[in-house]
Amino acid sequence: MRFFSFHLMPYPDLPPDYAGPAWVTCPNDLFDPRLGGELYNRYIDELVEAEKLGFDGVCVNEHHQNAYGIMPSPNLIASILARLTSRVRIAVVGNALPLYDPPTRVAEEFAMIDCISGGRLIAGMVVGGGPEYYSFSLNPAHARERFAEAHDLILRVWTEPGPFEFIGKHYKLRYVNSWPRPIQQPHPEIWIPGVGSLETLEFVAKHRYAYMGIPYFHISVFERMFAMMRDACRKEGYEADPLQLGWLVPIFVAETDAEARRRYEEHFWYFVRRLLPGINISPPGYTSVRSVENIMRNTGTFALNLDTWDEVVEGQYAIVGSPETVTEMLAANIDRLGVGNLLGLFQLGTLPAADTKQSLELFARDVMPKLRASFPGTVASGTEVPTPTPA
Amino acid sequence: MTSLVPSSIDTAVGSIEVHRGGEGGSAPLVYLHSAQGEVPGMAFLEELADTRQVTAPLFPGFGGSDGLQHIDDIEDAAFHLLDVLDCLDLPQCDVVGLSLGGWMAAELAVRWPDRVRRMVLVNPVGLYVEGAPITEIFGRALSELAGELFADPDFPVAQLMRAMQDMESDPSQIPFDLVRPFLQAQAATAKLGWNPYLHNPKLRGRLGRITAPTLVVHARKDGIVPRAHTEVYVSAISDATLADLDDAAHLAPLERPHEVAKLVLEHLGD
Repeated sequence: MRFFSFHLMPYPDLPPDYAGPAWVTCPNDLFDPRLGGELYNRYIDELVEAEKLGFDGVCVNEHHQNAYGIMPSPNLIASILARLTSRVRIAVVGNALPLYDPPTRVAEEFAMIDCISGGRLIAGMVVGGGPEYYSFSLNPAHARERFAEAHDLILRVWTEPGPFEFIGKHYKLRYVNSWPRPIQQPHPEIWIPGVGSLETLEFVAKHRYAYMGIPYFHISVFERMFAMMRDACRKEGYEADPLQLGWLVPIFVAETDAEARRRYEEHFWYFVRRLLPGINISPPGYTSVRSVENIMRNTGTFALNLDTWDEVVEGQYAIVGSPETVTEMLAANIDRLGVGNLLGLFQLGTLPAADTKQSLELFARDVMPKLRASFPGTVASGTEVPTPTPA
Repeated sequence: MTSLVPSSIDTAVGSIEVHRGGEGGSAPLVYLHSAQGEVPGMAFLEELADTRQVTAPLFPGFGGSDGLQHIDDIEDAAFHLLDVLDCLDLPQCDVVGLSLGGWMAAELAVRWPDRVRRMVLVNPVGLYVEGAPITEIFGRALSELAGELFADPDFPVAQLMRAMQDMESDPSQIPFDLVRPFLQAQAATAKLGWNPYLHNPKLRGRLGRITAPTLVVHARKDGIVPRAHTEVYVSAISDATLADLDDAAHLAPLERPHEVAKLVLEHLGD
């Protein structure tokens, strides 16, 4: 079992009278640059702290033109983390490949982070969220094709001696020859996040990558999604390794269950009601028709439809409580979902620094050791644990 | 009213659905539909088919037409249309296009002017006009869009769009068979018009190549395409006239079939 601390870097200061979406068209005069600077530094500290507390890794991700996560370039943050940490895996989950033209940029930057960190990068690759296709005016009907082609190109950049020529449908490059190359050979571990699109599951299974289930759905949706992933692996002729599956979930730990809810609930609702609106737009052609049908079945359980705390608890949209409660709930779900990577969102919405810190510390002290004991085995198959390089 | 009969034909990109009916006229009439794929059971076409030979192909991604995977942009669309005309053995025809179909008609006529005898463009997209943007159609609430597409809020299709909007809070309740054609049509439209948004920057400079006498129709209540676009078409095409339609919106041929058919028939002559 591997434990990761995942940060979205949310903007916690949307004015109470702003009722619009947090995505694409959320007016950017609502962003206060001075506050932004404080937030970036605080959030980086929270990720660095995770290493000291014994986490196996930290995660950052990419979103554009929104208040949900003010991290359009996760690679900038990851490169800072590469320098400020010495042991944890640094998972960029991921770069939205179709937004990089040419996508050799991703191969280069990921290789830089891998070099700076001494081979600790986990390279996440993602199609990009629906809103990004509005924010970039990028044709969503080409999203999957571009993703697949960019992926193939990046893998060739890392594994084939350059220079070589790459002539694809979307990218035509006469001289591909990336300096630097990644430390990890043949290439960094690759993670693909998803919400249950069949194409993505089949792609991950085929390449034996790891699949990260994106949160904010009822727990039963994850159960179905990971079952589909295991099926997809079987169709490729092998059994999925638990380390190929990751579950991303908001977690908050306090001394008692009542105390945890009291301190957490309002911050969770800020996240759901202020930061999620607008995230779920699905531009035309972005998802294949057969996948849309599958995804639509889940949309009724999307967190945006939550009204009461009882629904949050019942669907396990967030794991909140005393160390005992959180341990018990996580253990039951890790078992039920069969995942080998737990990606905890410890800071969420408006949750202040002090609460985030305390929750992380309680988790590391009273929850993580018990879960490690219950779910031994920490190394992904075929992946070497890198030797730490002193920063 | 003469009904049109659906059939399928094989084109270079795949099998497509074509609706045909009627006889008469100096040249066959080809109708190019909008992003709504409105061809089946369309009263407007049935009225035209009373006196004309009418052919309405469905573009790949619409109805039962395959081949969208081979089409990436408006250039591919133009060549697909040329292929369709060849497959249907139509060396020259009159072309009537609505909105997206109007854009395609213009792209066809600038490349192969001899293939088009006379042309009618109804609320056509296809151009960028400074200060007069085409309204966003992607990702919009259907209830809002209904008001821009139709002049009469009680028109049945407008009512249906509002009803679908009401179901959207829990899409799992919508029968997927109703949703599938809508999703496919949207994906096809996005391929042609996501960016540049519903236009081809090269088209305006090429409009002078069109030789067909052209009628450009603007519906006064069109909430999608500003009148300035029709004006540019009319000034750039050498033999073009503009007609304004009262009390009609973007999908005028659906809502005012008789009035639009009358304008079309007058322009096409015998």
